[in-house]
Amino acid sequence: MWQSIRNGTAAVEEAVRQFLPPCQAQCPINEDIQRTNVLISLLPEHPEDAEEGIIQIGDYLFEKNPLFTVCGYVCGLCELACNYRSKGGAIKRRLLKRFIGDTYTDYLDNKEEFDIKKHKANVAVVGGGPAGLFCAYDLSIRGYRVTIFEASDRLGGALWLIPRYRLPEKVLEFAVENMVRIARIDVKYDAKVGEGKLTLERITDEGFDAIFIAKGTPTPRTLFFADEQVEGQDLSGVMYGHTFLYEVSHGNIPSHYFQGKKVTVIGGGNVAFDVARTVRRLGGDTTVLCLECEDKDSPDGIPADSEEIRGAWQEGIRIIYSRGVSRIFGEGERLKGIDCPRCTSVFDESGFNPQFDTSDCMSLAGDILIITVGQGPDKTSLKKDDLLDKMGRLAVDPLTLQSLKRENVFIGGDLRRIGFMAEAMKDGLTGAESIVRYLSGQDLKEGRKRDYEVQDTPLKRLYLTEPEVLWVPPEKRMHFQLYERGFTLREAVEEAKRCLCCGPCVSCKACVSLGIQESLPLVEVTQDRCCGCGICVSACFYGAAQIRIVDGRLVSTIDTFKCKSCGMCVETCPSGARRLIGDKTENEVREVYASL
Amino acid sequence: MEAYVPKLVCFSCDFGWGYVTAHDILAPQIDNWIRVTCSSKVDSAYIFEAFEEGADGVLILGCPEGRCHFEDGNFRTEKKIYLLQKVLEAYGIEGFRLRMILSNNPGGEDIPKRIEEMKKALGKLGPMKRR
Repeated sequence: MWQSIRNGTAAVEEAVRQFLPPCQAQCPINEDIQRTNVLISLLPEHPEDAEEGIIQIGDYLFEKNPLFTVCGYVCGLCELACNYRSKGGAIKRRLLKRFIGDTYTDYLDNKEEFDIKKHKANVAVVGGGPAGLFCAYDLSIRGYRVTIFEASDRLGGALWLIPRYRLPEKVLEFAVENMVRIARIDVKYDAKVGEGKLTLERITDEGFDAIFIAKGTPTPRTLFFADEQVEGQDLSGVMYGHTFLYEVSHGNIPSHYFQGKKVTVIGGGNVAFDVARTVRRLGGDTTVLCLECEDKDSPDGIPADSEEIRGAWQEGIRIIYSRGVSRIFGEGERLKGIDCPRCTSVFDESGFNPQFDTSDCMSLAGDILIITVGQGPDKTSLKKDDLLDKMGRLAVDPLTLQSLKRENVFIGGDLRRIGFMAEAMKDGLTGAESIVRYLSGQDLKEGRKRDYEVQDTPLKRLYLTEPEVLWVPPEKRMHFQLYERGFTLREAVEEAKRCLCCGPCVSCKACVSLGIQESLPLVEVTQDRCCGCGICVSACFYGAAQIRIVDGRLVSTIDTFKCKSCGMCVETCPSGARRLIGDKTENEVREVYASL
Repeated sequence: MEAYVPKLVCFSCDFGWGYVTAHDILAPQIDNWIRVTCSSKVDSAYIFEAFEEGADGVLILGCPEGRCHFEDGNFRTEKKIYLLQKVLEAYGIEGFRLRMILSNNPGGEDIPKRIEEMKKALGKLGPMKRR
């Protein structure tokens, strides 16, 4: 039976010098990417035999990232840093995770609750989005009694705004509901903290020793032109992307809602594209209008992912680049159209400061205008709770996430800084660690800042190209079912095998957990024997064998972080100055040869 | 006279061959089997010694091209095997007695088959001429 062990010598170690594969350093929560890639690459060939292994890999991922099934559909940040990116395409880590997740989602309902002794303090978490859930999860498995105060009737926060054609409802629902069940977290629904009698003081009085606030950004940003709010945003037919996606996710918008309507979406971010592609699926004739230019490499380039832009383009969505909105005009109460001057630059030294050429202005007629230029926190309730500084900004320490105004309050997620899902999850973990330190009287800041060093691309003669990801053709995907096809077992194994496994062995140990090696062998250099010829340097694919001057003489050395113990240098050394400690090949060879 | 059965030493890469089957199930089915973490761990000296110690052939099973866990270990070994075959031929030993296969077989059930195939071929060649 396929069996991967995770304890003892097979347990992953925190690297001393924070040396990681680039994907893991890029991942905000440092998921064990390389290890799980290798485990997937070594799964059995037949789906029935592989199932046990897939669950085991899922269990392993779940421990560190209980929302991994969701990440498998929406994240993929790690792929941006992959060493393979410039050599034939990044490893499709997101789809690999989706592959594990697709089996694991069905298993989640039957997964046993964690056996946790809840003997520590009470902690309140305000907001059940990714940040809040992660904070609650981390504290709960460390023995704290955690209660989530969720304003709505479901957990998941902004994840619900992701359209269903990208993230199936079931995946999200199963992930969040089972996460709180398995980690034994209490949830209070329809608990709007900051409204009515439910204040932070009251929560503190009820015996919660620390509070983590991650309420997200429920307020859509309105449209401004030349520092003034554009008039006409109250016309009938004008709406905000955030609100629109919220209504769609609740099933409040019937299909064909926009049939025969000309819809303009303002904004160039991923959310704007989510809105545009949703509108298209509801029958609208859709145009996206954004300030940024088409060239993604330019500092003024469009921020949305190229995959989103490609998908939108395929679906027949027009994209108008480098245009702003100076006027929204209507006929009576109804929207008629907008005036769009050309945007000459978006950013300058001071940051976001768009400049326009008003002599080049086009008018765009339309029935519906959806403004998707970002969203912000609910400042009124934050002010009431005394969490803002004199300038009206959130008063929070970015390292520890502790509020500068109230010492038992910690703040994270989109509320603190709008970012990716995984960044919010990281905030949750940071907040949890700070809360643990705060409640046990430890220093909040000591040893918190971590810098990561990453492995360069290893040398390889034949880099393989990435597999093509199949999308349902545009004419057949005008609905809210998934349009991206996931990996089959065979494809997943093939893709996982492509991984360069460039990270250090101590943060992986997949081979040890599968019993391929008993422990990680170590390369030892006997410097007295070394003649400094440097053959080992050319033999090593990872740059681990290096020639250095020691006591005035050239000798070879080994960087144990980069070394993969492959034995290439040992095999090639002409003077026998290198050997592998803990490697059994020599013994096996002697044993077999003696019996010949 | 007993029928001639060639003796074969088989090295197989653990990342490509037989990693989903427990070692104690596979091992009794395969004679003179040495598992290595990468085919590149097979030292040239091991190969010569095998012939010296009485083997009639050496079979090395590596991973498919571009799929080596250690980047290019299989390619290095392939190159080495080609050169070693020339050396063997210079000593009057058929280069055919040293062989490498680049493929993948998680279950490991192919290992005995590949050995049998090579044994059959070597059987036609007869025992190795030793001085």
